[in-house]
Amino acid sequence: MKLYNYILSPSCYKVRLMAALIGVRLELRPVDFHPGGEHRGPELMALNPAGSIPILEDGDLVLTESSAILVYLAAKAAPEWLGSGKAEEAARVQQWLSFSGRLTASLGGARLHEMLLRPGDIGAFQAQGIAALRELEAGLFEQGLRGQRFLAADRPTVADIACFPYVALAPDGGVSLDPYPAIRLWSRAIRALDGFIEMPGIHRLHELKPEPHIEPGEA
Amino acid sequence: MTQDAMIDEWYPVGLVSQLDSFGRKTALMGEPIDVASDADGNARVTANGRTLPVCVRYGHVWSSLGQPQKELFAIPEADQPGRRFVDVGVVRVRCSPLRAVENFLDIAHFPFVHTDILGSEPHTEVQNYKVEIREDADEVWATQVKFYQPQAARSASGGITTEYMYRVPAPTCSVLYKTCPPRPGEWDVITLFVQPLAEDLCDVWPWMALFDDESSMTDLIHFQQTIFLQDRSILENQIPRLLPLDPGMEIPTRADLTSVAYRRWLKRHGYTYGAQLVAQ
Amino acid sequence: MLSDPTGSWTPVALSVDLPPGTVVPARTPAGPIALWRSASGRPSASADRCPHRGMRLSHGFVRGETLSCIYHGWSYGAAGNCLRIPAHPGLSPPETIRVATHPVEEAGGVIWVGVGEPATQPPQLAGLVPLRSLQAQAGMAALEAAAGAKADENGLLETTQNSQEIRLLLAFQERDETLIHVLLDGDSSLLERIAVSRAVEALRRKAEAIEAEGSSR
Repeated sequence: MKLYNYILSPSCYKVRLMAALIGVRLELRPVDFHPGGEHRGPELMALNPAGSIPILEDGDLVLTESSAILVYLAAKAAPEWLGSGKAEEAARVQQWLSFSGRLTASLGGARLHEMLLRPGDIGAFQAQGIAALRELEAGLFEQGLRGQRFLAADRPTVADIACFPYVALAPDGGVSLDPYPAIRLWSRAIRALDGFIEMPGIHRLHELKPEPHIEPGEA
Repeated sequence: MTQDAMIDEWYPVGLVSQLDSFGRKTALMGEPIDVASDADGNARVTANGRTLPVCVRYGHVWSSLGQPQKELFAIPEADQPGRRFVDVGVVRVRCSPLRAVENFLDIAHFPFVHTDILGSEPHTEVQNYKVEIREDADEVWATQVKFYQPQAARSASGGITTEYMYRVPAPTCSVLYKTCPPRPGEWDVITLFVQPLAEDLCDVWPWMALFDDESSMTDLIHFQQTIFLQDRSILENQIPRLLPLDPGMEIPTRADLTSVAYRRWLKRHGYTYGAQLVAQ
Repeated sequence: MLSDPTGSWTPVALSVDLPPGTVVPARTPAGPIALWRSASGRPSASADRCPHRGMRLSHGFVRGETLSCIYHGWSYGAAGNCLRIPAHPGLSPPETIRVATHPVEEAGGVIWVGVGEPATQPPQLAGLVPLRSLQAQAGMAALEAAAGAKADENGLLETTQNSQEIRLLLAFQERDETLIHVLLDGDSSLLERIAVSRAVEALRRKAEAIEAEGSSR
């Protein structure tokens, strides 16, 4: 499976993270998104007329929506990440997969504006981003009352992976994560998963490694 | 003293490769400027109708609000055959331009911020190195800087002890010379060119001149963007946003001697745009 | 916030939102703090700034009984003294390197941080348990206007919203920003808890509309 990848794209990171968590190997094809704008060039536009990344190629199959790619990877390698299939849980997975698009439009827009100087109404991006974070916070709080630590169940699903990157990177777009205790605990639970990988802007949990004992001169 | 001695310095304001006749609207030290190509394809920088000095070098367009007294600093390696020149592209950071440079001069953060790439625990010790202000060139230099790195460069395949030299030739620019894995005896050149938009906001333009025939250009760009974006979340969370020049506000150790010399050099020249002079 | 002549207590967070081995940002009238809980469960509060290079300590990490800065790994103990500088493994950090700390009291599921040296203990919330914390972009006055009730000297406010009785513990953050802790009876059912949480969100929307209207005038 080949992923057209940009190292700073949260949507590409969703795919890399999912693959890492379930042990799928991806062939990475780096795309010069910035400064080159390669995703708008002829080769990639032929593959994806929307001009967006990620793009996943697997044989004849070409997928261009990150949520669809997550579902594909999970269905092939780790179906438990799709949820149990019970009506309510299946619906919750879909609810948050759809919601993740709003995170991309709001927090993602703010991040591209503040970091890579892309155009847009930064005030609107940030206000919509805060509204989305509050919904997520409330959703996670209510899940906690039901004894569930993740968005759709007590175990992570594709919905968590779809929402995590843009949320964790909200500060890149000038949106603070300080006011959200439930999001903080959830983000921590995701970062503590076996096989978790980071991306620039999302630091790893150094506390998972014990403090090393170092003698001077050993370094 | 906001419009200080730094007004006559050269600053990066755009990539040569992205010049067009429509122009790039940006800012320099609080003043809106426009960077475009003229009818002959030459770079033209204007501020409110006034034409500013222009120089084109190291992949970037450089300009100044004042009257630069010297030519842009030299990087001899930029003319050396066999090197690949990498325009890494702009990244905006909500911090003082001086904080961005100071972070670039720092190695002790590698194990915690660039974990498993430029550093890793338990290899956290910073050995003694040499720092001087070279009076002839009027530049800050740090030499014999050594650090253990799990993946020192895109072309590195395992951990090595890397040697660094740092150079600050201008208040918002730094040039790093680094052990070059495929070419022992040569140094890779990695620069940080910082455009001060305001005292607490900057556009950072990393640029590199490397010996690497293996990696794709995109891989080289992505490697450096990875490193810089790991730093960005640190830079946006330092308090205060301005760089404190008064001793007492922050606590340096031996590992911070480059930073100490950089701050002293800034203060000596009155390069205080982006600096906090009095502890608040 | 409970004040006495020598200091005050601020309810900065709920115990459940600070598990062992974590650090979170919080605010007191004396400024931002890094609130952390050691592996053994002890809560501590320090200034949210590493004295080395000014990095926010709430972005750091907790290992064992120490809080470390994410930037260079400098670690601090509960008393605020620097214990370790990874760049100099052989160095015992001098006593002069320290972060300011604040007294912390934890009772009934609420973590209180002291500013100054309050002579009294934080107030008891008899019979009530905390449900969740949320932040409003509205000052105390706007919240009181939305609730149609006044907070008492401890920051406790009782009101009815969407025919739901709610009790709040309010903490001042900024002139136009308030931290709300939602309290309820310990024996409330799941549905009651969800209803109260949603009622408080409705109250917050109302208060924020009042605040926005007030500031646009």
